[in-house]
Amino acid sequence: MTRHGRRPDETTLTVWQVVELARHPDRPYSLDYIRRMAPDFIELHGDRISGDDPALVGGIGTWHGRTTMFLGHQKGRSLKERVARNWGMMHPEGYRKAIRLAQHAAKFKFPIVSLIDTPGAYPGAGAEERGIAAAIARAIMEWFRIPVPIVAAVIGEGGSGGALGMGVADRVIMLENSIYSVASPEAAASIVWRDNARKVEAAEQLQLTSRDLLAMGVVEEVVTEPEGSARADYEATAVSLDEALHRHLLQLLAQPIAELLQHRYERFRYIDSLIHAEPQFGPKI
Amino acid sequence: MVAAKKPAEVRIVGGKLPPIPLPTNCPGCGVGLDHEELRRHIYVCVCGHHFRLGADAWIALIADRGSWKERYGDVRSHDLLNWKVPKPYQATLEQLRDEGLNEAVRTGTCTLGGRSIWLATFDFRFVGGTLSIVAGERLARGMEQAAASGLPYVLVAASGGARMQEGVLALMQMAKVNAAVGRLDAAGVPYFSVLTDPTFGGTAASLALLGDINIAEPGAAIGFTGPRVIKQATYADLPPGFQSADFQLARGQVDMVVPRPEVRRLLAHLLEIYP
Repeated sequence: MTRHGRRPDETTLTVWQVVELARHPDRPYSLDYIRRMAPDFIELHGDRISGDDPALVGGIGTWHGRTTMFLGHQKGRSLKERVARNWGMMHPEGYRKAIRLAQHAAKFKFPIVSLIDTPGAYPGAGAEERGIAAAIARAIMEWFRIPVPIVAAVIGEGGSGGALGMGVADRVIMLENSIYSVASPEAAASIVWRDNARKVEAAEQLQLTSRDLLAMGVVEEVVTEPEGSARADYEATAVSLDEALHRHLLQLLAQPIAELLQHRYERFRYIDSLIHAEPQFGPKI
Repeated sequence: MVAAKKPAEVRIVGGKLPPIPLPTNCPGCGVGLDHEELRRHIYVCVCGHHFRLGADAWIALIADRGSWKERYGDVRSHDLLNWKVPKPYQATLEQLRDEGLNEAVRTGTCTLGGRSIWLATFDFRFVGGTLSIVAGERLARGMEQAAASGLPYVLVAASGGARMQEGVLALMQMAKVNAAVGRLDAAGVPYFSVLTDPTFGGTAASLALLGDINIAEPGAAIGFTGPRVIKQATYADLPPGFQSADFQLARGQVDMVVPRPEVRRLLAHLLEIYP
């Protein structure tokens, strides 16, 4: 099947095939993009409260001549690294680190790039004990006050509140074969049917592909992946992603900060307005 | 030395509580229940078990009698994703409306001990109190109004999280309402959050735990991931009391655990001392 040069709305993949591509173990991860976008990337660690979360990488690098703060979920490639990175599932320390680095970026007027690729926040006892709900809640609120441009891209899995905690930005774009959902198909099936084996049906109901989200007005752009999807050509995918993110950033840099923050507020305040304006989505609220 | 302000003389209930469906025996102590007696004790058993209240009961409990003015009640949800299985979402919504429920969040203005406030209460009976587009819209509009007018904002939370049937747009409500909480915060408007059983998922990870003061009901389960999913994902045995109100108090997530008969007087007192 040739996909090169096709518009993303012309895909012939099933929804579940897209989910599998988004989670493919050979798919490029955040550091694969960050190191290509900013070869001088320096990683920074820690939330300055209690720890460092390896599921989220953060740091600075020079991107199109501008010092930029990069943040991204990082899954592991080998089993050992996957365990160390906790499969890209953040703990509370990760959200606190993200906000610390965002405030650091704001201090020095560095723009922020956030790459999203997580099944969700870590669903374990330790995360609960250390306040994962409040950590995500506070991060989401604080993102609205960070006075520098923020561009985000879903590069693989955008899972639930764990993804949204890194997904409040002035522009949010998606790679073609990535997904973004209120819950993973497995979790949704478990909640709706009490049977996570019905994940394929759940995925089809959830409308979680990049095309769905573009149609709903939740993301600004879908970045086409090369033939064979992102895993077939890291270089070409990184170039496309870089171009799209930078194009959006240039538009944002031209805005006064007060206007930028007001637009960020309105972006999420009225994010569901498009769906009400389209007759096929039912009556306007 | 200046004498502390006297707590306002405030009734423990604002109005008349509606009857709620109850089991024959208390799940806390197993004793048979006298429904009228229990209603007089605002649905708290002598053993301390707090029965879940719907939005109508919370409004009656908190608002001074006759002061409640519902706002945005005409903002209605609908099936925007064409959700069909296991049950059409539109049918679920219509059935709940026929039962007299108006979405998972109701909001409006009222007085509490004579002070005007904005009040929003979740209703767990409406699709598990899930955060939906309509819930988010009602919350955000009320918070924007409160931020503009300076009226304190009181929330009563009871929610399973974001509503699956509205997909990623339900998830986005977390950002929408937290942006509005940010407006309240920037305006210096007091925001008091009462967390009741249960408060989980996207609701806990957005507005419910962002109160200037977080007040939990005794025995309320509060957390991000539910115990069933934690066990499924990690095979961990969770200790008794995991994610209880006292657990969250010990871990710094709530300011206090307050029995229901004291909640209204506490809120009235807070409204006195947070001008």
